Amino acid sequence: MLTLVNIGKTYPNGVRALGGVSMNVAPGEVVAVVGGSGSGKSTMLRVVSGLDRPTFGRVMLDGAEITAPHEKIGIVFQEPRLLPWLSVADNVGFGLADRPKLEREQRVASQVDRVGLADKAKVWPRELSGGQAQRVAIARALVTRPEVLLLDEPFSALDAFTRVDLQDHLLDLWTDLKPTLVVVTHDVDEAIVLADRVVVLRPRPGRIQEEIVTDLPRPRDRQSAAFDFAKRRVLAALDRSLERQVTADAPETKTSAGAALWW
Amino acid sequence: MSAVGMSASVEQATETAASTRAGRDRFARWAGPILGLVLPVGLAAGWEIAVHAGLSDGRLVPPPSRVFAQFAELAQTGELYRHVVATLLRVVFGFAFGTLAGTLLGAVAGYSSLIRRLVDPTLQGLRAVPSIAWIPLFILWLGIFETSKVALIAVGVFFPVYLGVMAAIMSVDRKVVEVGRVFRLSGPAMVRRILLPAVFPAYVISLRAGLGLGWMFVIAAEFMGASEGLGYLLIDGQQLGKPAEIVAAIVAFAVLGKLTDTLVASAAAPFLRWEDAFASRHGEA
Repeated sequence: MLTLVNIGKTYPNGVRALGGVSMNVAPGEVVAVVGGSGSGKSTMLRVVSGLDRPTFGRVMLDGAEITAPHEKIGIVFQEPRLLPWLSVADNVGFGLADRPKLEREQRVASQVDRVGLADKAKVWPRELSGGQAQRVAIARALVTRPEVLLLDEPFSALDAFTRVDLQDHLLDLWTDLKPTLVVVTHDVDEAIVLADRVVVLRPRPGRIQEEIVTDLPRPRDRQSAAFDFAKRRVLAALDRSLERQVTADAPETKTSAGAALWW
Repeated sequence: MSAVGMSASVEQATETAASTRAGRDRFARWAGPILGLVLPVGLAAGWEIAVHAGLSDGRLVPPPSRVFAQFAELAQTGELYRHVVATLLRVVFGFAFGTLAGTLLGAVAGYSSLIRRLVDPTLQGLRAVPSIAWIPLFILWLGIFETSKVALIAVGVFFPVYLGVMAAIMSVDRKVVEVGRVFRLSGPAMVRRILLPAVFPAYVISLRAGLGLGWMFVIAAEFMGASEGLGYLLIDGQQLGKPAEIVAAIVAFAVLGKLTDTLVASAAAPFLRWEDAFASRHGEA
C-alpha cells in the first residue's frame, strides 16, 4: 500500500507547488493524476519517488517512510533519459549492477524481449526512435521488479499513433507483475485508458479537486460510450478545478473547451 | 636526382588523374583526401619547377627537394633523432604534468561551487598572462635546463584541460544524474558510471587542445636556450642562414603534432564508439 499523508512542497523560491495531498493507492492499482499547469502533479510524483523531499507530510510504502529513492519504486520520466554511452541492453540492466552476471543477462534479455526490442539489444540509444527509446526506459524501470512504478507524462513527447501503441503496451506489461502504477498525464484519454481511478488536481497550490473512479472493463474501447462518459466526467472536474463556468446543458461545448486545454 | 623525383611525381599525378576518371566509385571515396592535397602538393610542385626553371635561386625559400635532402642528411647523421627525442620528451612530460593538474583542479572546481569560487578567478587571471611572460621567472626559479621547459609546457597544457574538465562536469545533464539517484548509486558509483562517461567526450577534446598548446609551448621553451630539440634546430637554422633546416624542423613539428594528436584520438576512440555510431548514421543519411 502506497500512502501519501498530507504532503506539501514549497520550493526555495517561495512557490507553493503542493498544498497538502493525501491519498491511498492499493497494490496493483492504476491511478492517473491529471491537472492544469501549476497543479503540482510532477512535483507530487518526484516527492513520491524520493527524489525530492516534501516540505511537510510523509510518503509511506508498506508502512515504511520514503525519504530517498527506494528499490521498490521505479520511475519513468517524460524523456527516456537513457545513457547514450551504454547499449540498449546495458541501459536496461543499469539497475541490476549488483546482481550476478548470469542473472542480470537473463533478466535483461527477457525484459528487452518483453518490450519487443530483442533485435535492438546491442544498438546505441541514439539509433532508436522516440517510442523505442521510451520502451527501453520502461524496461529499465521494470527489470528491477518494483512494487510501484511512477510515470511522469511518459508518452507526451510521442506522436499520437506511438502514444496509443505504448499505452496498450504499458497495460500489457502491467499484467505480468501487476505493480502499482501512478501515471501523471495531461492527456485525459490516456488517463481513462490506463487508470482505475483518476485524481484531478487543482492548481496553486496543488490539492486534490476530486477523484473519479474509471474502472471500465479491460481492454478499454476508446470509442465506447462508457469511455466517452468517463472522459466527460474528468473534463468537467478539470473545468471545476480551474473554477471555470460550466454550462450543464452544453456538454459538447464543454468537452471541446476542455479538449482545447488538455491537448 | 631531384629532376627524376619531379618527373616521377608528375607521372604519379597523371596516373591518379587517369584512375579518378576511370572509376566514379573510387573517385567518390578518395575525392576528399585528394582534394585536400591539391593545394599543398600543387604549391610545392610549382615552386620546385620554378626553382628548376631558374625563376628563383630558392636560397631563402628552399624547394621541396632541398628540404628533403636536408631531412635525409639530418636523419643520416642521427641529428634528427636526437632533436626529435629531446623535443618529444619535453612535450610528453609537460603534457603529463599539465594534464594531471588540469584534470584534478578542473574536476574539483566543476564538482564544488565553493572550490570553483575560491580558485577559478585566480586561475582565470593567470590564464590571461601571455605564456612567454613566465619564461624569465621560470628560469630564475627552475634553472635553464629541462625543469623550466617542462614547467612552461605544463602551464600551456594546464589551462585548456582545466577549463574543459570544469565545463564538462558543470554541463553534465542533471536529468542523467537523476537516473543514477533513482538507482541509488553511491558517490563513487555515480562518478564511475555516470559522471566519467558523461564528461569523457569533452575531456578528450580538451586533451587534444592541451596537446596542441603543448607543441606550441615547447618551441617557446626551446627558444629560451636549448642545446638540442626541434626548437634549437629552428634557431640554429636562422643563425647559420639555413632556411632548409628551418623548414625541415617545421615539417617535423607538423608530423609529430599530427601523430601525437592521432595517438590521443585513437586511444580514446574505443570509448567513444557510441558517438561514432551517431556520426556515421547521419553521414549515411
